[in-house]
Parts: sequence; structure tokens; C-alpha cells
Amino acid sequence: MSEKKILEYDVLVVGGGISGGEAALNLANLDYKVLVVEKDLSLGGKMIALSKVFPTLDCAACITTPKVSEISRHPNITIMFSAEAKKIDKLGEHNFEAHVHQKPRYVNIDDCTACQLCEKACPVSVIDEYQQGLIGRKAAFIPFSIASPRAAAIDITNCTLCGACERACPTGCIDFTQTDLDYVVKAKAVVVATGFKLFDPLKIPRYGYGKYKNVITSMQMERQLAPTRPFNTILRPGDGKMPDNIAYVLCTGSRDKSVGNPICSQVCCMYSIKQGQLLMGSLPMADVTIYYLHIRAFGKGFNEFYEQSKEMGVEFIKGKIGNIKEKENGNLILRYEDIEEGKVKEAEHDMVVLSVGVMSNSEISDSFQGESLVLDDYGFIHQNDILASPSETNIDGVFVAGTATGPMDIPDSILSAGAASAETTSYLRRAVL
Amino acid sequence: MKKKIGVYVCHCGGNISDYVDVEKVREEIEKDEGVFLAKTTMFACADSNQKDMVTDIAEKQLDGAVVASCSPKLHLLTFSAVAERAGLNKYNYIHANIREQASWAHSDDKVGATEKAIQIVKAAVAKVKRSNALEPIRVEATNAVAVVGAGVAGLRSAIELAESGSQVYLIEREFFVGGRVAQWDDLFVSNETGKELITRLYDKAMNHKNITLFTGAEIVENSGSVGNISLKVKVSPRHMKLNCDEGNLEKAIEVCPVEVPDKFNFNITTRKAIYHNFPGEYPQLPVIDMEHCTRCGECEKVCKNVDFSQQEEFLNIKVGSVLLATGYDPYEPKNDEFGYKTIDNVVTLPQFKRLVHYCDDKLVYKGKEVKNIAYIYCVGSRQVDGENKYCSRYCCTATIHAAITAKKKYKEIYNFHFNRGIRTYGKQEVLYDESSRMGDIYLQSFEDHPPVVSKVGDKTMVTIKDILTADKTLEVEADLVVLVTGMVPRQDNSIGSLLKVPKGRDNFFNEIHMKLRPVETVIDGVTIAGASQGPKNIMESMNSSLAAATKSFSLIAAGELALSPTIAKIDADNCEWCGKCDDACPFSALTKTDVNGKQVAVVNEAVCKGCGMCMPVCPSNAIELIGYTDDQIESMIDALVSTH
Repeated sequence: MSEKKILEYDVLVVGGGISGGEAALNLANLDYKVLVVEKDLSLGGKMIALSKVFPTLDCAACITTPKVSEISRHPNITIMFSAEAKKIDKLGEHNFEAHVHQKPRYVNIDDCTACQLCEKACPVSVIDEYQQGLIGRKAAFIPFSIASPRAAAIDITNCTLCGACERACPTGCIDFTQTDLDYVVKAKAVVVATGFKLFDPLKIPRYGYGKYKNVITSMQMERQLAPTRPFNTILRPGDGKMPDNIAYVLCTGSRDKSVGNPICSQVCCMYSIKQGQLLMGSLPMADVTIYYLHIRAFGKGFNEFYEQSKEMGVEFIKGKIGNIKEKENGNLILRYEDIEEGKVKEAEHDMVVLSVGVMSNSEISDSFQGESLVLDDYGFIHQNDILASPSETNIDGVFVAGTATGPMDIPDSILSAGAASAETTSYLRRAVL
Repeated sequence: MKKKIGVYVCHCGGNISDYVDVEKVREEIEKDEGVFLAKTTMFACADSNQKDMVTDIAEKQLDGAVVASCSPKLHLLTFSAVAERAGLNKYNYIHANIREQASWAHSDDKVGATEKAIQIVKAAVAKVKRSNALEPIRVEATNAVAVVGAGVAGLRSAIELAESGSQVYLIEREFFVGGRVAQWDDLFVSNETGKELITRLYDKAMNHKNITLFTGAEIVENSGSVGNISLKVKVSPRHMKLNCDEGNLEKAIEVCPVEVPDKFNFNITTRKAIYHNFPGEYPQLPVIDMEHCTRCGECEKVCKNVDFSQQEEFLNIKVGSVLLATGYDPYEPKNDEFGYKTIDNVVTLPQFKRLVHYCDDKLVYKGKEVKNIAYIYCVGSRQVDGENKYCSRYCCTATIHAAITAKKKYKEIYNFHFNRGIRTYGKQEVLYDESSRMGDIYLQSFEDHPPVVSKVGDKTMVTIKDILTADKTLEVEADLVVLVTGMVPRQDNSIGSLLKVPKGRDNFFNEIHMKLRPVETVIDGVTIAGASQGPKNIMESMNSSLAAATKSFSLIAAGELALSPTIAKIDADNCEWCGKCDDACPFSALTKTDVNGKQVAVVNEAVCKGCGMCMPVCPSNAIELIGYTDDQIESMIDALVSTH
């Protein structure tokens, strides 16, 4: 085995989403050398995939892409894609050692012009995760149109090694000889910004996700509404018909002890309301009904946004959905308790969107050697001194930003990242003094 | 005039191209004289497009660039930076806004929106033809920050800034630090008391050599600009000498004959004119409230440390940045709003929390023991008729927490929550669950049917049309009604007015952009933290105060600032000092000077913001705005009114 390459930075940031990126930028602007380790092929995390964001309705791409491009060209920031921090060891104060494993992209990013000829040449079609499985992509592919870096990658699990992409590539940037790389990273502090996972609705079989084609997740709807959307309009997956009576099922996987998640996901009410408003725009004739328990429109401008959606005609029904059944024509029957009327009722919709919740993404805690990184009751990273130093973890020198601490929206994530960078700065200064 | 201009027309992923025919815009612009290339792009701001622009500008040696996209508030800086990376002076880049000004504004008229977009872009091209390379004005930045407000947010920002190496002037208007949090007992999540949290922060702040605390202090004058802000601070006297003998001091309080409502307890108790906030407050020194003191001299007789000779002081400080952490006020219900001040057992949530603090084994209000408590939510928030349309965010959780605390503290307390939909977002949900399991009753009304508080004989009744029981009308006899009052902006906005910090629709301080720049304001160098920007709980205030500290610090950390050169310029030959420009200038950037025996105006480059207020009032047309010259503006107007 060859010797691992040793790299040295001031701060290791785990996660290149909007929180990790913001923290990295703040630190880099104060002249600290930062390494961002990102497990995916692009920066921007979940946010870059969104359509527009509440309550301002800015397009997510308009906000994310410039941030992402600022991060990627900052002289003090190095980014490793397809990479994971496998082992993080605290050897002493201001002395962390991480083992970073990087999978090959099989494409030389610097030479790739994103001409997409490899995509055209590739004979393999697989499901496009970025488009939430709504369409397919090739095994040689550009992750998505606004990816950063915008460069091809080879999905080696599905690749047949036919070589068509290599032959088609005009710059010769495809390189199948690339191998896994292991690095030893020395850093003085660590920022964990590993984000969240979406709730898997297959865990609630009575909602029929995976069984009924016209039951989709809110992230799938998000993709259908985004500027870089797959169909250029809203279609129900079952038969490609434009829906005209869409239902939202809030609290799918949140506030639900039966799936082991008692907490509220903090963002689903607002993103559903936002999608409702956007649907009113793109399908002016469609009805949108949101089935909810409580509307949590608590942030700056949120309640006003909620009131506005009511004025626009989004319908709100206070009630919990019991189950969903499919009719022969693909329409869906929702059985629910109408709390206001105190009756169990049924309603027919031609498309159902499950507003899936925010779940912890806690694998990073397993990477910590010696002193382990403590999680809270819900699997998020425990905040050691939540009311005075919210980004402090149980390990001195390891800070946490964004949804790794719990569900939160984008403005709160940016603030949390600001806090993490501030506390990291103080910690780093203690090393100098 | 420039001959090699590059124009990029952005689809904004449909935000523009759904209503504006961007291809037609491109075709029309391409015909303009001086336009060397015109392209359309899906997302002009995307990294890949930015790279293409850099390549175009550098390889084709473009001498000017225009991007027609969204508001310059969003991306002017993005594309200026693109120009710079390509070696083009950023003032040879001009931004055209065809999203907010064309596509969004005219989504009902695609042809008209396209026409307008063409003219907007033509105007930008006209301007860039006449633009010049400019260099920033460099000024030294003072590594010091004034933090206004010493509540949790201000204290935390101060500590962070001090640890980063800045000098911090922590300016608190009250005589005691801790703000609202000092008034609370157990805090949710940590179970630490407000006082304990404040103690921790205060100790840390006071032990830091970089922090100077002023209490009873406010900023009364402000001049200069980011990097070099001069502030005049008025410090009111405590009328107490330091290091008092504890015993005599307590006696002094005892003998004071004046009794006034105690604001610290939200007026449910009284205090003397010489008073403590609470035992163990910070700084640990009482104060004489001169507004109510009758100067009877009784306190002076028993305590040598009382000192009526102390005078108001004025201090001048110089800072690079100002961080506002001025907090909020609790909403004060109107007379008779849910029986407030007209029915004797109606209190606000802050009053209730202080009441629970003072009642040990029994909850007693006005001599009567309290069993049934009715909490009425959203008082002053989510108003249907009033101005406060916003949700105050913290109150659902705070109320449930207070109700649980009361229930645990006293026997036989029955909590009835008259709510409008409980908003215990995130992990706070578990508290709602806990209270439900403890037997608290939740009743819910819609916005247009609030509950009614009325006096029936000697009983106080709360009636609601409860949607949780299918619209049944339910009635609860309440021994105490607690109005869950929300957060409102500080009534006294003198600091906001002084620094000209804009307010949002909700009247809290407004950030530049909720997601991109959430703690910065349009006033360079002024950042905002905590509840001054909008309702927040403690953790959220901490996050925002730390984020604001980072921004304030990064502004001044380099020791030097590059300011925009787009400022006013005086043509000394034409100027006959009349002083009108000085009168019109909101920043006091213009002063009179002597040039070869002639009195003319001169611009303070570090202070001028380039707002242009001085230009139209000049009778001899001797003022030009660099980057917005008459020639440039006239050419833009010509382009806007031309037909193509």
C-alpha cells in the first residue's frame, strides 16, 4: 500500500451544503485555510436542488449558485468531492487528524468542458437521483445543469466499461485509471455540517408511496417546480397527465412516534405552502389542498406568506390522513379526520404530495475516534451549550452548523453557520495566544 | 466610447424567460453600436456561466460588459467580481434588471415585458459606453466595535468580538445588563435560569480586557462611515459610588419613601426610587431613579455612597462597526383587549412568569389562590385587524414551558390553552407533547373568532368556539387569564433613527437579504443581532449574534477598507459656496473650504455615500456624481425613450 498523502489545513469542514459552504467562506475570508470534504459530486447540498425558497420566492439557484461559485474559487478553500472523512481523531487541542477517503470521478475536472458528448454516447440509462427518480440519466453524466463543478462523472456502479464516452470525449478528460485516494488531513478545528436526510415514506405503507405512482414526495414536486425541472411543467408520474387537484399530506414522518420521530421538521409547512403558491402559478386551474395538523409559519415573513397563500386560494384542511387508496384511473382517495367538523371523511385527488420530514444524518459521529461525538435523542448532533454557544459540540474544537443540529430553514442555517465560524475563529485564536 | 461590449441576457431559469422573450432581447441588443457580442444564458450567476464570461472578456478583450438579469441588490457584486477576475475594471460592468423591472412586473403582458426589457438593456449599454475605470477609495479601519444592548445577544457578540481581537464598547441603556433573559427563571432546553446564563456571559465579558461596558448609556451622535465611525455616548449617573457597604445600602433602600411600579417585574410589584433589579444583578450596584426620586435625602443619611453630585457624562468613541442588539418589547395589550386592565385577573405572559417566580407554595394573585389558568395565545401577534401580521415565534413554546413549570411547582393547577394552532416547531414539539400528557387542555379558534373573556358576576369566564371539538362553544372559569403577548419592536427606536437603519414590514430592523446577508443592513458597517431583527428564542438570538459578530469583525479585520469611488465630485471652478449642498446632504459629507481665496465645497470622501442628494440643489451645476454623470444618465434616458 502506498503512503497516504498528508495535507494540512486550519479547518476541516465536513459537508459542502449551504451551511458548510457559508462557514467555510466566513473562515476563508478571515484568512484561514479550509478544506471542505463533500461526499457528493457538487457543492450546494439540498438547497441547490430546490425550486424557489420561502418566504421571498427567490429562486434557490439564484442564491445558491453565486455562493457556491464564491466557495469554489476562494484561494483559501480546497474542496474534495466524492470524499468522506472516515476517521477523525483528536490528538490534542488544535490538533485533529482525519482520514479522508475519496472515490474516483473517472473524469479530470480541469479538462472537462461539460460538452455532454459523453452523456450522448453512453448507452446506459439509470435513474437520476438528482431529479428524484422522475427521469433517467446516463452512467456518464453531468450531475445536474447547475452543478459546481459543472463537469462529467462516471457512475462506475452502473458503467459497462464500453468505452463509448472515452471515445466521444473531445478533450480526453475521461480517465478510467483513476483509483480511490486516501489522505491524512491535519486540521486545527473541525466544522461538522453534514445536513439532514429526508424521511423515507416507504416507512408509512398506508400512504401508498412506491405503490401508487401518483403519490410523490415533496422533493419530487420541488424538482417538478424548479427552473431546471425535468418536464417543463407539472405532470403526474402515473400517466403524464397534468394534475388539477393536488393534495399535500403534512407531517409525513414528523411528529409521529409510530415512525420513531416525535419532533416537528420545522420546514414542511412552509415549503408546502410555497409549493402551493407556485402550483397556483404554473397550473392556474388546479386546486391545491393542504392537510395539516398545525401550520407552523413562525419565521420572519412566514405568517404573512401563509395568509397570502390562503388569499391565493390554497385550501387548508385541519386533519390527519389515515390512509390513501388508489382508484382505477390513478386518482387517489384520502381518508382523513376532518377535525373542524369532527367527522371522518374521504376526498379524491389526482395527485398526492407527501410533505416528508427532516431526519438526522448522523453517520459522521461514527467517524470520531476516541472521544465520540454525542448525538441528541433524535440523532442530531448534540449542542453542548445550546443557549450560550449553540455550535459547540461535546468535543472542544469540533463545531456544528446548520441542520446537523436539528431541523431548520435556510435563514436559520445561514445564521447557524455564522455562529459556527465565529466559534471556530475563537477556538483557533486560542491556539495562537 | 467603447466598441467592444459584451451583453449577457439571463433566462433566470424561467423567472425572466417565461415572460420576456430573451432571444429577441439578444437580437435587438446585438444591433446596438458598440455591442461586440450578445448571448443568452440559463443562469448568468451559475459558476459555469461566470467562467464563460471571464473567458469572453479576457480573450476577446471586451472593454465593457452588461448582464441583464435580476435586481442589482442580488447580483451586482457577483458580476462586478466576474469583470475583475477577467481583468476588466468593475466600473466598466453595468447591471440591467429585467426580472423585477420587466418580467415580474409585467407577467400579464409578454410583448410589453419584452419591449421594456430591450429598452432597459439598451440603457445599460448606453451607460457602459460612457463608463470609466475607477479605483476604490482606501481608508484605514478602526479595529473596534460598538455593541448596542447588553442582553444575551449583545453580551455574546461582545465576547466573540473581544476574543477575535477587537476592542468592544458594550453600550447598555438600562443600568443593569441581561435584558429580557434576566427576567426569566428556568429556560427551556437547558433548565438553566436566565440569571445563571446572564451571570456566565457577564463574567466572561467583564473578564475580557477588550470589553468596556457602559450602563445607563446611549449613543446620541454619530458621524463618519464604516471603518471610522465616531460616536458620542451619553452616560447617565447611577448616583452611587462604587464599593458600597451592603448593609447600609439595603437600609438606604428601606428608608426611601417613594414607591413606583417595578418594571423588572412588569409592574406586578413595586420598588423604591433607589433600587436593585433583583438580588445579584449586574453590575451589582443599585441605582437612583431620578425620574421618581423626590430628593428627600433619607437615603443619603444612612448610606455614604449615595452621591447626588454625579453628573451626566459624554464620551467620544471611535469604532469601525456598530452591532445593534437592542432586543424587543413585549406587546402591551390595549385597554380591555381580552379584559386587560378592565378585568382584575388578567395578566400578560411576562407578568405571569414573574408571578410564578414570587409565589412559592401557592399561586396567588391579588389575594386569591389560582387553580384554573386560561392562556390566550397570539395577543398582539397574527392580528387580523391590527398591524402586527407576523407570528412572534417564541410564545407558543414559552407559554407551554411556563404552564408546565407552574404545574410542577404548585398542586392542582389546571392549564387551559386557548390557542390559534400550536407552533412548537422543531424539537420544541416534545414540550407540547409533555404538556398534553400532563393533562393540559388545548382549545383552538380560528383567526376571525378569537376567544372572549368576560366577567359573569364575580367570575371570569373564557368562551371559545373550539374547532378541536367540531366547533362546540366551550366555557372555562378562569382564576387567572394569561395573555400570551408577542414580541414587538422597541418602542424607542432612537438608535435605529440615528443610524438610519431601515425597518421591515414588521417594523423590526431589516436585513439586506434573509438568506445571503441576514445580519447586515444597507448601512455599511451596521450589523443587527437577536430579536432586534425579528422575534427569536435564545438559541436563535445566539446564532444571529455570533453571525453578526463575524460580519462586523470581518469588515474591519484587515485594518483597511476599500470604499466605493462612486461619490460626489465638486467642480471648484463653478462652485460659488452657497451651502445648499451641505443642507441637502444626509451624511454631512460636504464642508466649506478655501481654494485660492475662493470659498468652495469639498467632499469628505470617506463619508460621502454617493446618494446624489446634493446634485439637484446646486444652483451652478458644479456637482457631478462619479459613475453616474449627467452624460451617462442622459444617454440612458435617451435609450429608454427611444423606439427601436
